[in-house]
Amino acid sequence: MSAQPSASRTPPIAGRRIRIKVKRADGPGKPSRWEEFEVQPEPNANIISVLQQIAANPVTAEGDHTSPVAWDSGCLEEVCGACTMVINGRVRQSCSCLIDDIAPAPGDVITLEPMEKFPVVRDLWVDRARLFHNLKRVKAWVPIDGTYSLGHGPTESAAQQAVRYVLSTCMSCGCCLEACPQFTLEDDETRWDTTFIGAHAISQARLFNMHETGRQTKADRLDALLGPGGVSDCGNAQNCVKVCPKEIPLTESIAAIGRATTLHAIAQWFSGR
Amino acid sequence: MSTRQGFLERRYFLLRRLHSLTGIVPIGLFLIMHLTTNSSIVWGMMNKRADHSAHAVSERGVATFQEEVNWINGLPAILLIEIVLWLSIAFHAVFGVYYARTGRFNTDRYRYQDNWRYMLQRITGYIALLFIFYHVATLRWGWSWLVPGGTTWDHAYASSTLAAALRGSADGNVTIGGVLVSLFYVLGVTSSVFHFANGLWTAAITWGITISVQAQRRWGMVCLGLGTGLMAMAWASIIGFATLDPRKAQIVEERMLGTHAPPAPEATPPPAESPPEP
Ligand code: SF4
Ligand code: SF4
Ligand code: FES
Repeated sequence: MSAQPSASRTPPIAGRRIRIKVKRADGPGKPSRWEEFEVQPEPNANIISVLQQIAANPVTAEGDHTSPVAWDSGCLEEVCGACTMVINGRVRQSCSCLIDDIAPAPGDVITLEPMEKFPVVRDLWVDRARLFHNLKRVKAWVPIDGTYSLGHGPTESAAQQAVRYVLSTCMSCGCCLEACPQFTLEDDETRWDTTFIGAHAISQARLFNMHETGRQTKADRLDALLGPGGVSDCGNAQNCVKVCPKEIPLTESIAAIGRATTLHAIAQWFSGR
Repeated sequence: MSTRQGFLERRYFLLRRLHSLTGIVPIGLFLIMHLTTNSSIVWGMMNKRADHSAHAVSERGVATFQEEVNWINGLPAILLIEIVLWLSIAFHAVFGVYYARTGRFNTDRYRYQDNWRYMLQRITGYIALLFIFYHVATLRWGWSWLVPGGTTWDHAYASSTLAAALRGSADGNVTIGGVLVSLFYVLGVTSSVFHFANGLWTAAITWGITISVQAQRRWGMVCLGLGTGLMAMAWASIIGFATLDPRKAQIVEERMLGTHAPPAPEATPPPAESPPEP
């Protein structure tokens, strides 16, 4: 059954054996090392199922017994972002990365590395806490908590829904941060508030600033984006938009927030305190 | 120390936007004017209104450039304009280096054209900084010990002294040192023009002028066109001066210094000209 009729795709050879090269580390701050495994992938297998195979039989290609490779995952359908890793040098989700696509021939090699912009928990599993911290910096939510019912919110136009819908599909995976030259690993949590916030948070700020109720806290979001590590720290390399698995127009969000901060700063200068 | 950091953080946005703005006005604007002036050594050859003492086509380039330089030197408060420019460049450079150091190149992994330009923008910034410093120090502040051949630029002898500085010699030869200086000029102006054109493209995103991908692409075409034009002028200037014989240029300049003396030569032809006909 040819599920993906892709013209350029080489047909996978059934029963082939391929190599998986994994960059491993035993824990946070521990030195990393490479280990290679040989596996015979099932048809339509993804990276996760191959990692499961390795976990069931943790023996390297050289025949040495080792510990099972650790990884993170959740939804297995590219909506949670937990399984994000660097596959053959490119950041993407391992659950939606099919072996038949990237290693169709016998002897093909797949390299797996943890994202380098987040601290490693173990092997391919990283701690994305800073990504969520940065969403808090811009209050990426709609303020609805109160002591009484706020009633129905205002109606949103269809045109605005169309713009906001795609922004809302962000799954906090971290691809945009991993590929961004301005976003670097920061172990010191006290610096998280002043180092680059990242394309995902800028885009989420735009999403909630456009929301009819969310716009009530627009000024707070823009204030956060004016400061150190805010939108000005983007260097316009535009890698983020190219690696985002949800094809979110991140560079448009960055420019839109650039405009909003320009106007906000001018308004502040004339009417702020 | 802590108050300075406090200031930098409190005024973070303003400083970032000033950094962006100074790159366009005054620095970018000056770059356009400066390259227009300097390339007059080439386009001046077509200038029919060049000083009448310039007969040959190449002499017209020298005369036009001299006239441009004289005009600039006649501007009011020229030193003030220069100081504003130098301070802007210093500000743009200091903060540019500081900001550039917050990033880490990753073109080895993400080989996108935009990512290459991100890297080039920073590298050309460093090169342009070195080049502009050398350029201003030698030709404006008179640090002639940094010039092979020891030429000091003189605004009354604008073309000949510039040609001598680029050739490493005032006597019509080209020295090895001169070739190196000329090559450094090619690298320096190429970097400066790229840095300006690409910076103009990113500035439109930074300020939120171009938002949609299509608008960014359209503005990119405008910046590419502007950059190509400036690049042509920049290279024309260097080729024009590096291939110019300083001795021949000096003859034109001396004639111009002479003819610019009070009595207009056309109105009263000097009597000395008649006797030689026997
Ligand atoms: S455009 Fe900005 S946020 Fe996106 S990758 Fe480049 S520097 Fe990072
Ligand atoms: S913007 Fe895209 S790449 Fe970034 S976290 Fe969201 S889904 Fe992932
Ligand atoms: S497991 Fe959720 S995105 Fe891969």
